[in-house]
Formats: sequence, structure tokens, C-alpha cells
Amino acid sequence: MALSRTDVDHVATLARLGLTDAEQDRLLGELEAILGHIARLQNVDTSALAETAQVGDLVNVMRVDEPEEPIGAAAALRNAPATDGSYFVVGAIQGTELDA
Amino acid sequence: MTPRTITELAAALRSGSTSPRTLLADALAHAERSQKDLNAYLAVTRELAEAQADAATRELQDHPDTASPLCGIPMALKDVLCVDGIETTAGSKMLSGFKPPYTGTAVQRLFDAGAVCIGKTNCDEFAMGSSTENSAYGPVGNPWDIERVPGGSSGGSAATVAAGTVPYSLGSDTGGSIRQPAALCGVVGFKPTYGRVSRYGLIAFASSLDQIGPFTRTVEDCALVYSAIAGHDPRDSTSDPRAVDDPLASLHAGVAGMRLGVPREYLAAGLEPGVRASVESAFRVLEAQGATLQEVSLPSTDVALSVYYVIAPAECSSNLARYDGVRFGNRVERPTVTEMYMQTREAGFGPEVKRRIMLGTYALSSGYYDAYYRQAQKVRTLVSQEFEAVFNQVDAIVCPTSPSVAFPMGSHDEPLSMYMCDVVTLPANLAGVPGISVPCGFVDGLPVGLQVIAPRFEDSRVFRVAQAYEQATEFHAELSPYAREAA
Repeated sequence: MALSRTDVDHVATLARLGLTDAEQDRLLGELEAILGHIARLQNVDTSALAETAQVGDLVNVMRVDEPEEPIGAAAALRNAPATDGSYFVVGAIQGTELDA
Repeated sequence: MTPRTITELAAALRSGSTSPRTLLADALAHAERSQKDLNAYLAVTRELAEAQADAATRELQDHPDTASPLCGIPMALKDVLCVDGIETTAGSKMLSGFKPPYTGTAVQRLFDAGAVCIGKTNCDEFAMGSSTENSAYGPVGNPWDIERVPGGSSGGSAATVAAGTVPYSLGSDTGGSIRQPAALCGVVGFKPTYGRVSRYGLIAFASSLDQIGPFTRTVEDCALVYSAIAGHDPRDSTSDPRAVDDPLASLHAGVAGMRLGVPREYLAAGLEPGVRASVESAFRVLEAQGATLQEVSLPSTDVALSVYYVIAPAECSSNLARYDGVRFGNRVERPTVTEMYMQTREAGFGPEVKRRIMLGTYALSSGYYDAYYRQAQKVRTLVSQEFEAVFNQVDAIVCPTSPSVAFPMGSHDEPLSMYMCDVVTLPANLAGVPGISVPCGFVDGLPVGLQVIAPRFEDSRVFRVAQAYEQATEFHAELSPYAREAA
């Protein structure tokens, strides 16, 4: 399984995961080794098999449509790195790639 | 005097020979004495424990006949289980200082039964690992040899029971993270059927695989704790609504007439000779109890490891997207939100978590989804079908829990060699079936575990087989040096 530094950089960007150059170099080798091992999956004939997303047999679990007391803003904001008292505060989004 | 089981302590509390405060003081003192060597605790929750011990004292006085057997007994929680207002880090720098605004369901059920929580136990970061060496807060020592790992990811929860500090703890098991450390530490560890125990308040790793379960010193104690935490919870949509049968009712029914299967692939290459010898002696013990043992086959065992290392990282990469420095956890300030995300996650996650996020993101990315993720989901179906076919031939599976005994710290520095540790535990997670590890011998003074696996929702059968084995042997009564000192 041949990976390139460009692949590693692309995946890290998808994951919004900052990595140093040294981490990228190390991950390139490690991911190649792991993907090389996992490649044996391709040898299994799965033409007659459906996918398993979860092993339970529950489908469309609904709760009763009754209002409940929410956790409340104070508790929900208690662990946030930055708030204005009622909202989570983040830096600029306009002018970044998310705004493109 | 040896460290006592839940059953013994419950009797002692009712006879008045001890009190919740006395048990708590002993547990806290022992946790403190062994912390330097074992590093089993990330936090000691003295204030919470004292309040719970006092409430338990009142309950035992007012309702001695109806109080739960867990009432007044000290315990510990893996640090992936949320407790309202108590720091919960998942072994990660990302969550240092995080105090959940609610208590998880399994934990709340134990608290309602009168449990006394003495602390949060160390674990691999976000439960990713097989040695507890991936904790951001340092590794855990195995009480049988502190130069060796306790297994993982629930290493602290296994070690603290093996050390005799508390008679039980909770862990979580995604690919073996309860059963493998139980084996390596010489205690009992149980992963329930997927859907049996609510995961509300469990910090998510891989949601189609994660289950909460107990560590104890005996099978009976394990069934007791399981009974207390099992059952439907509307707050977890994967929690199963069917009634839970009482594992204590059939605990002593024995294995006479039962058919037990030994998967030939689980005794294949890679198994240490001493582990093989211990497990094969265990098979003879079960035969002597009247069980019929036969060879069975789970042909996809080898490829199941690959299925797991696609599906678990894929789900992890999705679950851990929430750690973005906005709602909880730590943040590295940067001018734009994207840079803030990237640098927050760079600083907050350790190497194994980054590796799995990268692997999972790759397997889910455009162009690779079909070849990796979808293919792994299909092979997962095959793994489940093979278990079903085996359970048409036999009542339960018996096999090793881990291919090796506890290994020296630092000896598995290649990710793939660490991943191989889970080869005989992770298929049960893929199929959602229940499994237990019970002590079945020693190799050079290090414990070996016997694994018992049964069909989905046959959790009681797992306990029944494990109990029959335990009662015919004395391995569970062997004490680590720290447990001998606990008295």
C-alpha cells in the first residue's frame, strides 16, 4: 500500500488534525504498514454479504414526544473554553476556507 | 486476612463487623500506598466517597434486609465514565479539567444501589490501546510485576482489583479492553452482550462495539455487579428493551451435559506455550465437570482483526470530531476557527489517538470508503454468521483471552504488534456476543485468563460456565503482592 506525504496531509486536513512534519513522516510509515495488513480484507468474497453497521436488531428507536427539562445553558457552557455567558465563542469563520 | 469479595463484605456490613466508613478508609489508604508503584488512579474522589459511605450507613441501618449487596462497598470507575462534577479525562490531555454535567446510567445505577466510589482509574487515552501505556498520565503497573503492563485499555480498573484496593470496578470493552486486562491481572472481567448495559455517560470510542462491564475477584461478584448495571435505558437508543434474566438464578447450575466449543483458530500460531498449556488444563477441568468439549471453527478470525482495525478507527474518527475546542475540552487559541481546530487537536491528542483518527478518516474518505469501510462492514457480517453457525453446534465457546501473559512495558512499540494482542477478544465485539475472562493459571508467576463466550443475550450462560470452572479451581484465590498487603 503506497501512501504519499500528500495523502497524509490531505487526510489530516479532512480530520482537522494538525501534525508536525515529524509526525507526518512517522504516520506515513505506520499507516502504510497497517493498511498493508488490512489489505487481506480484499481477498474475502463478499458478493453475497450485506453490510453490518450494528449488531443489534433495533430499528428507528423513538422516545415519547413529551417535553423534558433540558440540561440548561449554565451546565452546557460550564466546560467551554470561551463563552459570553449564553453562547460558545469561537474565532473568525469568515475569510477562512470554511467560508469559501 | 485476605481482601474480601463483595459477597463477603456485604455479610460483614450486615453483621456489624465493619462499616462503610471503615471499608472506605482502608480502600483510600491502600490506593494511596500503591499509587506510586501502580499509578492506577487518575483521581481519588474522597469527598464523594465519604458522602456515599454515610448515605450507605444510613441505608444499612434503616433497611438492612432490602439494601443492595453493593451498598456501602468501595469501588472505582474507569475514567471514561462520566460522574456529575467529577473530573473525567479519558486518559487524555484533551479533557484535563473536564467536569461532566451529568452522571452516566450504569454509574448512577451503582450509586443508587449504595456504591462508594473512591476514584477514577487510569486507562489508555480514549480507551485506545492494549497496555495502558497510551495514557497521557503515565502507564499503570501490573500488580503481579510492576515492570509489566496490566493490559488495556481498562488497565487501572483491572490493576486496582488485582491489588486488592477495591473488590470491584467498571471498565469498557471495545475490542477486549475489559477481558484482556482481567486476564493479564488475574481477575474476572466481563463484557456483556452489546445493548445490555446503557452507554449513556460513557465517553464514546467506537459506538457499534463499546460496552461497559465489571472487574471483580469472583464470578459471583461479577454477576452481582452486572445485574445492577444491566437493563434498558431510554437515554441510549442502542440499549435493548428485552428483560434481563437473573444470572444468579442459574449461576450454580454447572456444565454437566453442556457442549463447549474450542475454536481451532484461537489455539493457532502466536499463542504462548504456557498460555496454551494453562487453557488446555482448563478444558480438562470443564470436561471433569461433565461438559463435552469439541473443536469448532471460526475461519475468519484472522481477517476479523483487519475488520476491527477499519471499523473501530472509522467510528473513532467520527466520535472524536467533537473534540474541537468549542464546547468542552481544551483549546489552543488561533485567529481563525480552522487553525484553532487543527492546533487544539494537535496539542490535545496523543500518538495512538492521532494514528486511529488518521486511519479511520482515510478508510472513510472518498475513493477508499468502498474498499475499506464498506468491505469491512460486509466481512463483519461473515464474522457474526460464523459465531451463529458455531452456536448451532455448541452452547458456549471456551478459549484463551490473550495470546500472551503480561508483557514488559515498552516491548510492543510497533502499532501492529500491539493490535495483535486483541486477536481473540475483538471478534466478540464485532458479533456483539458476551464474553468473560476468569483466572486459569500462571506462567512464571504471571496470570493467564480463560475466556468464555456465549450467544447474544445468553450472558447468564457465560457466568454459569465461568462459575463451574472457578469453583473447581483455586486460581482466583491467588493474591498479587499488593493484595497480600491489603489486609
